[in-house]
This record gives sequence, C-alpha cells and structure tokens, in this order.
Amino acid sequence: MKSAYDVLVVGAGIGGVRAALDLAEAGRKVALIDKRPGIGGLLAKLDNQFPTDHCGMCKMLPLTERDASSQFCMRKGLFHRNIDLMTGSELVSLEGEPGHFQAVINRKSSFVDPTKCIGCGKCAEVCPVRVKDEFNAGLSERPAVHLPIPHSIPNHYVVDLEACQRCWKCFEACPAGAIDFKLEAREQFNILLADPDEKALGQYTKWFEDLKFPFIQTRTGDETLSLLSVDDSVWMLLLDLSIKDMEPERILTRALELRPDLAVIVLGGPNKGEQAKKLVGLGARDFMLHPLKRSTFTPWLDKQYMRIMSDEKASLDVAAVILATGFACYDPSEMSGILGYGELPGVVTSVEFERLLSGSGPTGGRLTRPADGGPVRRIAWIQCVGSRDVKRNADFCSSFCCMASIKEAVLAKRALGKDVETTIYYMDMRTFGRDFDRYRRNAQQMDGVRFIRARPHSVLPDSAHPGDLRLTHMDDQGVMREETYDMAVLAVGARPPASMPALAGAAGIETNAFGFCKTQDLNPGRTSRLGVFAAGSANGAKDIAESLLQSGAAALGASRLVNLFAPIRGRVEEPVPVFRDVSRETPAILALLCRSCPVMEHGPDMDLIRDRIAAMPSVRAVETVERACAKEGWERIRELAAAGKPNRILIGACMPYAYAPRLRELGALIGLNPSLMDVVDIHTPLFSQPAAATPEGQARAGEDILARMSMSAAKLLGADPAPVDKVAPAAPSALVVGGGLAGMTAAIGIADHDYKVTLVEKSDKLGGLAMNLRTTLQGADPAALMEALVDQTMKHPNIRVMTNARVSLSTGRAGRFMSIVSTPEGGVPVEHGAAILATGGKRAKVYDFGFLERKTVLTHQELEDRIATGVLDTAALSTVVMIQCWRSRDATRDYCSRVCCAGAIKNTLRLKEKNPGLRVFILYRDIMSYGFSEEYFTKARKAGALFIRYDLDHKPQVRFDQENRPVVTVHDPVLRRDLEIHADILSLSDGIEPNDVSELSEIFGVPVGPAGFFQEAESKWRPVDFLKQGVFVCGVARGPANMAETIVSAKAAAQRALRILCDKSMAKAVVTAKVRESLCSRCGKCLDVCPYGARTMDIANDRIVVDELACQGCGSCAAVCPNSASYLRGFGDRQVMAVIDASLAGLGRPRTERKPVTMDDAAGS
Amino acid sequence: MRNEQTPFTLDTAQRELEAIREMVRPCMQCGTCTASCPNAFAMKDPPRTLWRLLLLGFEEEVLAHGPFWMCSSCYTCALRCPRGLPLTEAMAALRRLAARRFPRTAGRNAAFYETFMDNVRRYGRVQETALMTSYFLAMKNPFLPLEYAPLGLRMLGKGKLHGPSAAQKGELQPLFDKAAHKGERP
Repeated sequence: MKSAYDVLVVGAGIGGVRAALDLAEAGRKVALIDKRPGIGGLLAKLDNQFPTDHCGMCKMLPLTERDASSQFCMRKGLFHRNIDLMTGSELVSLEGEPGHFQAVINRKSSFVDPTKCIGCGKCAEVCPVRVKDEFNAGLSERPAVHLPIPHSIPNHYVVDLEACQRCWKCFEACPAGAIDFKLEAREQFNILLADPDEKALGQYTKWFEDLKFPFIQTRTGDETLSLLSVDDSVWMLLLDLSIKDMEPERILTRALELRPDLAVIVLGGPNKGEQAKKLVGLGARDFMLHPLKRSTFTPWLDKQYMRIMSDEKASLDVAAVILATGFACYDPSEMSGILGYGELPGVVTSVEFERLLSGSGPTGGRLTRPADGGPVRRIAWIQCVGSRDVKRNADFCSSFCCMASIKEAVLAKRALGKDVETTIYYMDMRTFGRDFDRYRRNAQQMDGVRFIRARPHSVLPDSAHPGDLRLTHMDDQGVMREETYDMAVLAVGARPPASMPALAGAAGIETNAFGFCKTQDLNPGRTSRLGVFAAGSANGAKDIAESLLQSGAAALGASRLVNLFAPIRGRVEEPVPVFRDVSRETPAILALLCRSCPVMEHGPDMDLIRDRIAAMPSVRAVETVERACAKEGWERIRELAAAGKPNRILIGACMPYAYAPRLRELGALIGLNPSLMDVVDIHTPLFSQPAAATPEGQARAGEDILARMSMSAAKLLGADPAPVDKVAPAAPSALVVGGGLAGMTAAIGIADHDYKVTLVEKSDKLGGLAMNLRTTLQGADPAALMEALVDQTMKHPNIRVMTNARVSLSTGRAGRFMSIVSTPEGGVPVEHGAAILATGGKRAKVYDFGFLERKTVLTHQELEDRIATGVLDTAALSTVVMIQCWRSRDATRDYCSRVCCAGAIKNTLRLKEKNPGLRVFILYRDIMSYGFSEEYFTKARKAGALFIRYDLDHKPQVRFDQENRPVVTVHDPVLRRDLEIHADILSLSDGIEPNDVSELSEIFGVPVGPAGFFQEAESKWRPVDFLKQGVFVCGVARGPANMAETIVSAKAAAQRALRILCDKSMAKAVVTAKVRESLCSRCGKCLDVCPYGARTMDIANDRIVVDELACQGCGSCAAVCPNSASYLRGFGDRQVMAVIDASLAGLGRPRTERKPVTMDDAAGS
Repeated sequence: MRNEQTPFTLDTAQRELEAIREMVRPCMQCGTCTASCPNAFAMKDPPRTLWRLLLLGFEEEVLAHGPFWMCSSCYTCALRCPRGLPLTEAMAALRRLAARRFPRTAGRNAAFYETFMDNVRRYGRVQETALMTSYFLAMKNPFLPLEYAPLGLRMLGKGKLHGPSAAQKGELQPLFDKAAHKGERP
C-alpha cells in the first residue's frame, strides 16, 4: 500500500493534532499516526485544565472552513477532510531526503474489522481475561477485547493480543463476524525449521498438532537456503542457532535477500541472547531462547502468526515529518518502599487522581481511596516525584506538575466541598507562566489550598488508623511536623515514552541525555535530521499552551518544506465540488434504510417501517439497502441517489459520524450539498431496548426508529436549501507589527510561503529586546542570530520593512483588512489578509537604591553586558549578590517575568568561569528553572553559588557602606538567622514589562490583559489567536518569554496566519447566525453574549451585522434574542419545533383524554 | 596507624573542608535528610542546617557543635536525597576533621569512636566489657563509670554484656589494613 501526503505527523496527542490541524487548515494533506487506538494522548484521560478548570479541547477545532471538519467534542474523535488518521500505527523506517521522504508505517491489526464491528459488546462479555485498563491509569480492569476509549467515535472493539489467552470465545460470540484471528489459514502457513537436531521436527509437530501448522525441517544452512530459493510457500523460518555449517547471520541475510517478507524467528541456547538480539537487529522478527516449553512457546508462535497475517505495512511519500511523541508519566513503583505507591491504599499518582475525579473514571467521579474505598477528607500532594531527581536521571523540571497539582487541589475542593483539606508539599512552586502566579494566589487565598515548602521524605502507614497516611516534614521554624492524610497524590514527572529509542532509530534522529528529542537551542523545532520536526512535548515536557505553540512552529517548518518542494512533487489539487441550487425545487426526500445488520435478525418489521416512512410528507422514495456501511451497500446508495435526483437524502443506518466523509463524496458526485443529507442512528434502539427480542420490545424499537426518521425528515425539510455564498478570496499578504525577534521570525515564516509581508517597526532599526542579549543559558550566540535575522528580513524579496512607523488605523475583517501605516513620509495604505502583533516588551526600570547614581548596583541585563564585553574586572570582585523577583510577583507586577532566574544562573556561571573563587549569592523566592534549564541550576550550585530563599514578609534589606558598596541583609530560613553580606556588586532582576499597546488594542479591536500584555482568545488552547479572527499575537507581547519561546510562538502565529492567507475561496460554514432585520429592535443583547465578537452594531444603517467568518454558530444570540430576530441557519425555530413535534408524534399513546396542545393553540394563547 | 598520619596544618584543614563542601554544594535545602534522620532530635544542627552552615561559611560553629558525632551512619539521608549527595560520607569526613582540629571539643565523642574501632580491630567484634574499660581509661574521668551505670545494668539484664573472648581475635585486622592502605586514612 503506497500513498502520498504532504506531511506525516507521528503521535496524535494534542501536540500532534494541533500540528496536523494547522497544516490541514492551510490545505496540506496530513497523515496522522498514533500507536495507541485513539487520539488525545494523555489529555484524553484528563478532564479539566487550569485556568478554566474545564476541558476546552474543542477550542482547537477549525474556525474557518468549519464544514471541512467534524465539529464535536474532540475527546470523541476528529474527522478532517485533509487528515487521515491511522491508529495502532508506528513508524518503522524513514528513508530519503527532506521534501521527499519515504516513510514505512506498521499498522498493527486490532483483529476486529472496523467496517463490521457494531459495538454490541458481546465479545467483551465472554472474554475471560482481566488486565489493568490503561484508560483509567490501571485503576479498573478490562478484558482483552475492549473499547480503548469508552466515548470515542467511531467506537470499535480491539483485541489486545498480548493479554489474549486465545480461547476464541469472542470470535464465536461476535454476531457480526467482525473478529478475525486467521484461524483457518494456519494449514497453509508453512514453517521451515532449520535445526540439525533429528528429533526437533517430531517435537514441534507434536506441540503444534492442535494448531495444524505444517512444519518442514532442514538440517544445514545450505539445505535451508536452497529450499527457500525454490519453495516460495514458506512463510516463516525458525532458525536454530545450533546450525553448524554456516554462520546464522549469513543464513539470515541470504534468506531475507531471497524472500524479503519472510518472518525469521531465531531460537537459541540459554546463553545466546546477545547473538539472537543482534540477529533481530539484522532483520529477524523476534527470538526465543531454549529451553522452550510447549505452554509458552506455542501461544507465542501462534500470536506471531496472527500478527504476520493481520498486520499491514504502509508506505507513505511525504515532504516532511513531525514528531509529536509527547511524554509518559514517571512510574513511582520503584519508590514504593519510600512513597508507599502500590502498597498503601491512599497513595495515587496525579493521573490516577484525575481519573478518580473524572465522570468517565472508575468511580464515576466519586473521589474515594481506590484500594479500600475509604473516604477522602485530607489530601496531600507531593511534588517532584521523578522530577528534579538526579538519581533517577531526571535533572530536569517537568514544567507542568506544579500547576496541575494546584488545579487538582482546587478541583478536589469543588468535588468534595470547601472543608476538604488540601496541602501541596513543594520545593519551588514553578508558576512561571504569565497568569500562573495569580492562579496560585487565588487557590491559596480564595480556595484555601495550603502550600508547604518541604519535601516529605516518605509516606508511612498509620498503625492506629488503618488506611491513614503519615507525612513528616521539617517546617520553617525547624520543628518536625507530622500530619495525617487520607490520600497522598504523587505529582509524577515526565519521562520520554518507552518507544522513544525505537522511534528515534526509525526516524534517524538523536535524543538528548534524558531520552527526549534533541533539538537546537534557538530553533526548538529542529531535530538532528533535516525535514524532521519536533512538536508538542517531543523535546521536553510542557503544558498545553507551550505544546501547542511548539506544534505550530513545527507545522510552519514542515509547511515551508512542502511549499519549497511543491513544484517537484506536483500534487494535484482536489477539485472543489459544485453543488446545484435546490432552493427553488419542492423538497424531495430519498429515504434509505439499512436493514441487514446482524443484530436485526429478530428486529422489528422493516417493511412496516418502510411503508410508514413512505407516508411521510415530501418523501419521494424509500429504499432498503443491505449493509450501508460496507462497500456494496454504499455503491447501491450512490446508484439510487444518482438515479432519483432527490434534493434531500435521509439515511437510516448506524454510527452517523462515520458517514461524514462519505456524504461529502456523495455530495460531490450528485452535486448536492451534504448539509441536505442526514444519517440517523436506527441501530441503537435495537439493542438499547430491554427485551428487544420480544414482540413488544420490537414494536417499541420500531416506533423509536420511526420517530428518529421522522425527526430527521423534519430537520431536512426545515433546512435552508439556499447555497452558501462565498466571499472574496483573502488578500495574499500579511501585516506584522513589531520588528523584534518575534516580528521578524513571523514575517520570514509567512514570506517564505510566497505571501507579501509588511513589517512595521516603531523605532529606527529592527531588533528589539533580544538585541541586548549576549549569551543564552545554553551558550548559544544570540547576537549572531539577530544579525542574520535582520539581514534576512531586510533582503527578503517578499518583506517590506517600514521603520519609524506605526499603524494608525485598521478596518476590515479576516481575509481583507485595510490599514494605514503612518511613516515620516506620510500615511501608507496597506491591504492585508492577516495581522500579527509582535509588539514585544521592555526591561523594567529599577530606580531603587540610587540605581542610577551608584555604579555598584546593576541589573542582570547590564551585568551580562559588562561580563561579555569585559568592562567588568571579574578578577577584582570578591562577592556578588543577585536579588530575584525584584518587584515581580508582588503588588507592582503580579506575574513572573520568567527570564530572570535563567538570567541570574547564566550570569553566575559566566562569573564563576572567569573567577571560580568569587562568592555569588542569589536571593530568590522560587527558582523558575523549568524544563531542561534545571540542569544549569544544578550546575550553578555545583559551581558554588549560594541560593538563599526569602519571602515577601522578609524582603532583603540593602544599605551602603562608606565606599558605596552594598550591604545586603537577608533572613536565611534554614538557619533562621539574618545574614549580612558585604558585596562588590548588587545585581537586581529587572523583569519584563509589556510595551504600551493601548492604542494598537483599540485600532485592531483586541483586548489587553490585566498585566498589560495582549489577552489571547484562550490561554491554553488558542495561545496566539485573538477572539477577533485574522489577528494574532506572538512573542513577549503575549507574555514574558525567552528567545527560544519567542521564536516558537512567532512561528506558531505565522502558521495560524497562513491558514487564512491560503484560503482562496473563504467558504462560509452552513451553520451561522443571521438577523431578520424587520424583527430586530436593536436592543444589543446579542452583542454582549457573542463569545466570538462576530456581531457589530452598524449605526449608520441602524442594523446588526454578523461577520459570518467569525461566527461559529454557537447560537447564543438566537437564545438571548427577545424577538426571535436573531436565528441560526440550520436551527431555525420552526425547524426545531417541527423536529420536536415529530419526536412526540410517534408516541401515539395519549395518557389523558385532554386534547393535545398544538402549535397553533400555543401561538394563539 | 594514627602515627602515620600527615602533619596537620590549617591548609589541609581548609582543603578537607572544601572537599566536604564540594560534596553538598548541589543541595537545594529540600530537608529530606533532616526529616528522615533518626538522630536529628539529638543534633544541635540537624543535617539540612548543618549543610547550610557549612556552605555559608559557619564551619567553626559546625565543628564546635559537632552534630555529626550523632550520625549513626544509617545512610537513610543519602538514600533519599533527590540530589544523590554522599551525605553520610560528608558526616564521616566532618568527624575525621573535627577529631584532629578540635581535639578538645571532639574529646568525648572522638575517644568513643577510637576505642570502639580499636576494640573491633582487636577482638574481631565488639567486646562490651573491654570497650567499657578502655573508654573509661581514655576519658580519664573517675566519675564517668557512675554515669553509665544504669545503662550497664540494663544491658546486663538483657544479656547484652559479654565477657572477653578471643574466639575471633585479630580476624578483622586485614580488613583494617586494607582500608587504611586504600583510603590512606587513619
């Protein structure tokens, strides 16, 4: 099987989905693969995310061209026209060059045919196996044949072959014949046994006599190879290492030359493990060591057989590859002796805790101790389990756990009541995101979450109260405290996924010291192989927003390659379907009923149902088809639809969501808009009814089916058949405001895709904040990067740079804005399809301590500068004091500036390099060395820097001696005494402030957050979007960020903008809001409730205008409108009422004699 | 062996101290060591405070208080330290340093350690009665035995006091020789 795509995305967690969607929305064809059976990755298990404490995954769904994609909960699934999702698939090899890779994918069979499985669950009922359920983090059990994600759409059962006992009960129980273990083909599966032992053949034949594998034996290597060269009926070679006449390596390579698809299984003596592994590396399928036992060897070989027969290899031609491999959570089992995980009933990991809180979890959302069901009133969180732990090769911070634990504590309060005691034990609370510190303060002050800075050494059982847990820690007064809890949640850190080494080998990329994807410091998406990009958490654990940004950046890199190689690859654009205008035709419904599902054998009388459907108004014809889901059934539907020329199509079948791509195809074929077709689930009533097999049950199921069909018919009749009009194509150019690192990166990202970019910079030269940096923590050279970037921007043929300029006016909407740029030469009009705001920020000014007068007081920035230029004589220094969070995270600026801790550590390391004897004191509140920068924190400590923590109640005091040298007094909480430090230099962390953007915010109509940074649409799921379509934000303008993070967000914003620029048709969605102007009283209520800012009051013409591109069809306006003037196309009042009527009409069992109230009566009263 | 030791100077002391600091530099004051130390209650400066004092240059205080003499080398702190620091080794190094640099304050503790090790070396295991005698002799304090009388009686009652026996005499000598040779320590 060979197929061509633009990009291959490996991993369908949210990182992979974001990258795939970003590319798909920009018109790229994407193959999205995941080794798991569903999408969503880790996030599929976590229901709530801070800061909203809700889900919100659906906010990732496309906002333009909505009809190309499914528009329902993404936890259930995702269908996009341009994305082919392949689950259970792994990347096996990647050959070729950027622009034309050949990727080989192994698609593991689930042994259940998804086109046949009807999800009835009979297989799971008979399965005797019980293993831990991955979806519930091992808290519940599942059979070997199971639903991997209970709410997924479509939801088919899969067989976990590793757990399967091969009893075949599911095979026998399946009414649809969907399960296929290839039981019959064994007799043709010839196995060649290469073994000098005479008795071997007899033994194996006897062992496998039930399984009926035909065995042939050869005794020498020569004999084996000559047999293989003539006999091509052999499927498998059992190569025993005791063969003498030829090296086993030679037999293997020769055999694979003769028969590349031959499965070679290596058998060898107990000490031949190394050799056998080497042979597997050379292409053998697997190995097993003697002594073989019948009880283990026969099932093992039989499973190998099933895999060989059922798994598929697919070869894909792609231009670029994106790895979104995510991370696995640390398994604390190895610390069970210390933390009691797996031994004490109340100790759970954070993922398990989230499952316990979840409605789809093992307890249905009731929070009890999983092992003994005990009540939970006191919960402790223990941070950094498996993170910041040098002994477990984890000298890194996992970045997400601090915020996750705070959220969990808040959720626990919400689930169990305010009086639940929640305590978080932490070392540094890493609230480094723009809004994180505020969230933490709210949790502490408003929700009453208790924070204790200590690391409990172990979790001990309470012998007096079974089930209780004892945690001891030393408090800041130096007193040992012991507290009792019902539950301890281990905030487990991140690890690379177990399959990472194999994947890195297959993709040909390097991994870092911790096993994550190795990427470049200032180009975080770039792996060691050109054309292979890292997205999401592949290059280190991140929270949702950062993962999505990383994915956006990776998508831009891949998209650029696709664009570069497009002329060579020559992919044919798919034709845009043309639909005929049926608005003037009388409705003619073609109703189709699928009637051959195996569960329907004893179903209701379909002929009767058919007759009653035929009697419904506007139904032109009713046909029954056999197996609408199968190929033949669908052919029949196509024939009927093409022949009858209906203008509405109603299909009664099962799993309506799965029909979306088929309806699109059918629509293109017969020229009918798919919005005038509907698929109804007539299948669920058949087995959801109790006693469906009895005549009454069948009659009720029949009524149910009929009601569903008539509801859908009513919906189709009420649908607006008018074709969706199109707007003018987007202007193929973008406006970027701000010529710093973010602005230039975004501009080049867009310009490289052959769109024109206007870059507006308010100062006289490009560069911005990053121009001042001399080094990065990792030792990269920012100056060289900036120089190259400025040069590239100035010379880029598609970029027009305007310096000393500012945007003074902007009108229009996504796809076509018109802005005026004021320059010294006068106003310049610029037409653009999208705008990116990269206005950056500035270093905050520090005036304290006569900062301007005294040469002994510096900022980190100046210190860095002086060290780099050599102005500072480091040899003459003896003591340097640095104070962190100087006016950050307090009343003046209530956010973490994020870059200062790394800045202090960077300066410390440089100072220590130059003068190892220098004493460096860093006074801090929490060291924000998140991610892999933790390593440098350790390095700084090792180099001898002394870190002294202070809190807001004990701020360091500074005075100056006669020589103007600073004397810093600080309270050391460990020693509980004041220390007086006489320093040569005092360096203050200055922090980052946003540039003043109040004017721009008004010009573009985008909001500014409380700290003065731009407020994105959604901090987690839409990190670079504004609610206003077509305007994006990146870099420091959206919050403090270091250079690498700025580059990532700039690229992500560029990719989001490309999505709009590439849209040549700007097709509108069917479901959008409209206004009946004759009924509208201009009360303006709809303006307030519209969450997308799609509505404006046109004062000049006295009417409400809906931006149909911005409108997402949520219906809030229709609900709030007092006059029914605002309505939702596709959900009109009359239509919805008719659907409700239809659903009730079928009941036909009036309980009282009263005359039923009709719509006319209701309207009249 | 004690006779072979290098002459003690301030420089070597500083160097040894620096080596101990080196061991605990990556410490991030999480307090796991103190919380898990079974003897922390008996220490003036429990482990976390001890490391902090050392790093901040209060070594005189540390050596004078001598909390490290209370370490029973159970290795719990070293096992649990998330930074994997050799804390028990650091404690031992401090004891060695203190024994030489502060013989007066170290006196009682150091004397006990020395007599204990001598006892083990000589008898191949602890001989309680002999240990008692040599410890009291080393301390040169006639009232000391009285102080220990209640403990001695309790041990006697539980059958924990054994008479002198030469059964394993000298068996551990090669071990001591090898250790002294390898580590070049007294």
